[in-house]
Amino acid sequence: MARYGMVIDETKCVGCHACRVACHNQNNLDEKEAYNHLEEREYGSFPNYTREFMPVQCQHCDNPPCVKVCPTGASHKRKDGVVLVDKDRCIGCKYCIAACPYNVRIIKKEGYIEKCRFCIEFVEKGGTPACVTTCMTGVRMFGDLDDPNSEISKLIIKHKLKQFKAELNTKPRIYYRKG
Amino acid sequence: MGRMEPKGFEISRRAFLKATAAGVGILSLGHELLDFGTWARGQADSPVVRIPTLCNGCGNRCAIFAYVKNGRLWKIEGNPEANGNLGVICPKGHGYLHELYNPSRLKGPLKRVGDRFEPISWDQAYKEIAQKINLILMENGPQSIFWVNYPQPNHLYALRLMHALGSPHYFTHGSTCYTARNAGWVYTVGELPSNDLSDSRYIMIIGRNPAGGIDLGQMKRIVEAKAKGAKLVVVDPRHSETAILADEWLPIKPGTDLALLLAMIHVMVKEGLYDKRFVMERAVGFEQLEDEMVNYPPEWAERICEIPAKTIFKITREMAQARPQALIHRGYHGAFGAQYLNSFQTARAAAIANSLLGNINRKGGIYFPKTAQLGELQPKHPAPELPKVGKADGTGVPGRYPLGSYGDGIAHAIPELALRGELKAGFVYHHNPLRTNPNPKRVIAGYKKLDLLVVIDTVLSETASIAHYVLPESFYLERDEAVDTKHSGKRAQVSIQQQVVKPMYDTRPGTQIIIELARHLGVGRYFNFDIEEANRLRLKPLGVTLEELKAKGILFVGKEWKEGFDKLQTPSGKVEIYSKTLEQLGFPAIPRWEDPFVSPDPNDPHSFRLLHGKQAIHTHSMTANQPVLMALSHRYDMIRLWMNQERGERLGLKDGDWVQIKSMVGEGRIRVRLTQGIHPSCVWLPSGYGIFSKHLKTAYDIGLSYNDFLPTYFDPTVGHVMASEIIVKVSKA
Repeated sequence: MARYGMVIDETKCVGCHACRVACHNQNNLDEKEAYNHLEEREYGSFPNYTREFMPVQCQHCDNPPCVKVCPTGASHKRKDGVVLVDKDRCIGCKYCIAACPYNVRIIKKEGYIEKCRFCIEFVEKGGTPACVTTCMTGVRMFGDLDDPNSEISKLIIKHKLKQFKAELNTKPRIYYRKG
Repeated sequence: MGRMEPKGFEISRRAFLKATAAGVGILSLGHELLDFGTWARGQADSPVVRIPTLCNGCGNRCAIFAYVKNGRLWKIEGNPEANGNLGVICPKGHGYLHELYNPSRLKGPLKRVGDRFEPISWDQAYKEIAQKINLILMENGPQSIFWVNYPQPNHLYALRLMHALGSPHYFTHGSTCYTARNAGWVYTVGELPSNDLSDSRYIMIIGRNPAGGIDLGQMKRIVEAKAKGAKLVVVDPRHSETAILADEWLPIKPGTDLALLLAMIHVMVKEGLYDKRFVMERAVGFEQLEDEMVNYPPEWAERICEIPAKTIFKITREMAQARPQALIHRGYHGAFGAQYLNSFQTARAAAIANSLLGNINRKGGIYFPKTAQLGELQPKHPAPELPKVGKADGTGVPGRYPLGSYGDGIAHAIPELALRGELKAGFVYHHNPLRTNPNPKRVIAGYKKLDLLVVIDTVLSETASIAHYVLPESFYLERDEAVDTKHSGKRAQVSIQQQVVKPMYDTRPGTQIIIELARHLGVGRYFNFDIEEANRLRLKPLGVTLEELKAKGILFVGKEWKEGFDKLQTPSGKVEIYSKTLEQLGFPAIPRWEDPFVSPDPNDPHSFRLLHGKQAIHTHSMTANQPVLMALSHRYDMIRLWMNQERGERLGLKDGDWVQIKSMVGEGRIRVRLTQGIHPSCVWLPSGYGIFSKHLKTAYDIGLSYNDFLPTYFDPTVGHVMASEIIVKVSKA
C-alpha cells in the first residue's frame, strides 16, 4: 500500500497563504484555526538581502511524540503513514501539543485536538491535499514515499532532502528543499 | 504527483438547483445555514455538486469549480483549462467566497432618509431614481449623468445604458491603476501586449509583483521558465514577494526606473547589442534614439537610480545574449501604471527596450495575445447613438489629456466635476471611490455634492454609505453574468460566471439591475433582452453554445498564437521609437529623463517617499472585511509600514513601534516593520486596509490607506493619479 509523504520546496514559497485558506475550506475550519503556517526569515543587509518563507504543518512523523504521550490512543499512526487524532477518543489533555516540536496542533472549540490530516479522506477518494493543488508556484508535492519511483522519492534522493528538526529523531514524512 | 479529480462527487447541476429551489430552502433555513458548526457537523458525507464558474475576488476572474454541499458553498478549486490561472487559486479566491455568508452583506434595497437608511422595494427604488434622473436630464442635460465601475463582464451594458441616456460619462478605475502604462505601450507598439514568460530565458520585472498583486498564470509561468534555466531579475525598491524567486534583486531608488531603462537602451545602442534587422525593418526613429541616448550612460544612471553601472552593463549584456527570448515585463500598477510624473515615458522606454531586444511577438518575448471576438447585440437590438458631447474630464482632447484613455475616462476627476456642477447624478457599481481614490476628504465632498448618488454593491462600502439609494447586487456565486474574454493568451478563450447557489437575500444580478434601470429610465428599447439571450448573441460567432460553455466554464475558441510580426496598430504600422503623434502634441517624441514630481528631503531624517502595494491576501478595499482573510493580516502582523532598519533606528524606532505619518493632505498612525529589504528613501504601506465605513465591522479603522496621504494630481499627459508622488514625514508616535 501507499505510505504517504510530502516534499516542500521552500525555495519556491512566496508566502501568499493560499495553502492555509485552501486548507481552511477543505476542512471547514473556523477563522482563526489553521493546520499549516508560514515562518518568515530574513537574511543579509541592504542591498544584499533576501528572505524566505517556510511552510510548516503536521510532519506525520514515523516516530511521533504525540502518539507516545497520548493517554487514550486518540493520536495514532496509520499504516499509510498518516498520523491522525480520533476525536471521539481525545480527552483534550493537550499532552500531544506539549510533546509536538512543530507547533502545529490546535484545540477545536468542541474541546478535542486537531491538525493536518493530509486530507486523507479526500485522498482516499482520489483527491490531492488542498494545500498542494492550490499552490501557484508548486511548493508542495504529495506522494508515496515507499515507492522509489514516485516523484517525491526521486526528488528526495536527487537533492538529498532533509526533514525538519531531524535531529529529534521524530522521523518526519515531510522533506524540505532549502535555498 | 499529478492532479487528480475526486471521483463520485458529481450530481447534475439541474438536480441540485431543483433541490435547493424547493421551498426556497436557503431563505427559510437562513439561521441554521449561517451557523457554521451545525452545518459542518451535518456535511460530512453529503453529496457534493461541482459547478464551473469564475472567481470575483479580484479583476483576474480566474476560472474555478465551486463545490456545494448540503446547499452551502464548501470550497473552490482552480480550473486547469484557464489561461489566466492554470488550475490554481489564490488566498483571496478561497477567502472571498466566505463573503456569501458574511452578516455585513446588504439584504435588500435601501433609501437614504436624513442620515440613515430605510428599506425600500426594488420597484419603488427604481421609480424614485428614474424620477430624479429625468428631472436632472431636463435641467442639466444628459452629460451630467455618469456611471463608474471597476469593470465586471457586464460593463458593455453599463456603457450602453449611458449612451442610451446620451451621456459620454462611463468611467473605469483606470486612472488610479494603469492608464500611464497602457498609453506608453499603445503609443509605441499600438496596443497593450502580454509577456510570454514560460518560454523566456531572461525575465526582468520592474515594479510589478505578481506574487503579491497576484497573477496566478504569470507565477506558474515564471516558475516553469526558471525550471528550464531562465534568469529572473526583479527591480523593486522593496524586496517584493516576487523578488523571493529572483536570481537578482535590484533595489532601485523609487521613481527612477526610467533612468535604468534609458541606460540599458544606451548600452544596447552603443555596443550594438540590439536586433539590427528588427530595428531596421520594423521600427521608426532609431536615429533619433541614438542621438538622445548619448546622454544616458550607466554611470549617469547610477547617480540617479542607485543601481551600480556595472550591474546595468552586466544585465543589459546578458539580456542581449538571451534575445529574443528575453523580456522586460509589460508592468501593471507598480512602478509605471499610474505612479509618477515620468510613468508614461517609463512605459515608452520599456516598450522600446523590448523592441531593441527584437522580442515583439516572439516566443519568450512580448506578444500580442489572442482574444475571442464576441458577437454584437445589434442589429437585433439596435445600439443607441454615440453621445454628441465629449467627456468633461478631457481624455483624448488636445490641450487637456490628449493621451488619456477615453474608454476609461479619468475617474478620480469625478469629485472635481461634481463640485463644479458638471456632473449631477451618478451610478457607482462594484467600485468604492471614497476609499480607492486619492485624498478622501475631497472625494467625499465631491460625491456628496451630487443631486443623486446610486451605489450598486454587496456591502455598505464607504461610497455606499453616503448614497441616496443602495441597490444590493447578488454575490458572484448567486448570479449569472455576461460572457467574458478575460482569459486571452496563446489561445483565445471565452468564459462564464454562473449561478452556484440561490440568492440568500433580496438581491439582484448587476446585469438585471442595469436592464431594469434602463426600462424605468425610458430607454428600455435598447434593452429588449435578458442576460441569456445576450449571451447567446455574443457567443454566436465563436461556434459554441451557451450550454457547452456553462458545462465547462471556459472554452478555447479560435486559433493559436504564432510568433511573427504583422503590421502594428500604430500610425506607421511599426514600432514607434520616435512618435510623430507625440511630437505634434508637444510631448517628448523620444523618451528622455524626467525627474519624479516630488522627492523626499535627503537632509530630513523624517522625510520619506510613501509607496504602496498589494499583499496576496487582499484586493483593493473589498476583502479587508472578510474575517477569514483579516485573520491572516493579524496573525502574521501584516498591517505594518515597511521601513529601512537603519532609517528607523535613526528615528529611535524599534520593530513593531507605532509611528505617526503625515503628508500635505492627511495623517495617521501605524506600526512599523523595520527591515533590510527596502530602499532607505521610502516607506511601503500595504494597500487594502484603512476601511472607514462603520458598517464593515471586521475591517473598520484597522491600518491605513495610501490614498489618505495622496494629494489630488492629474498627470499632464495621461491624467493618471501619480499614486507614488507622496512625501510623508514619519515620527515615533
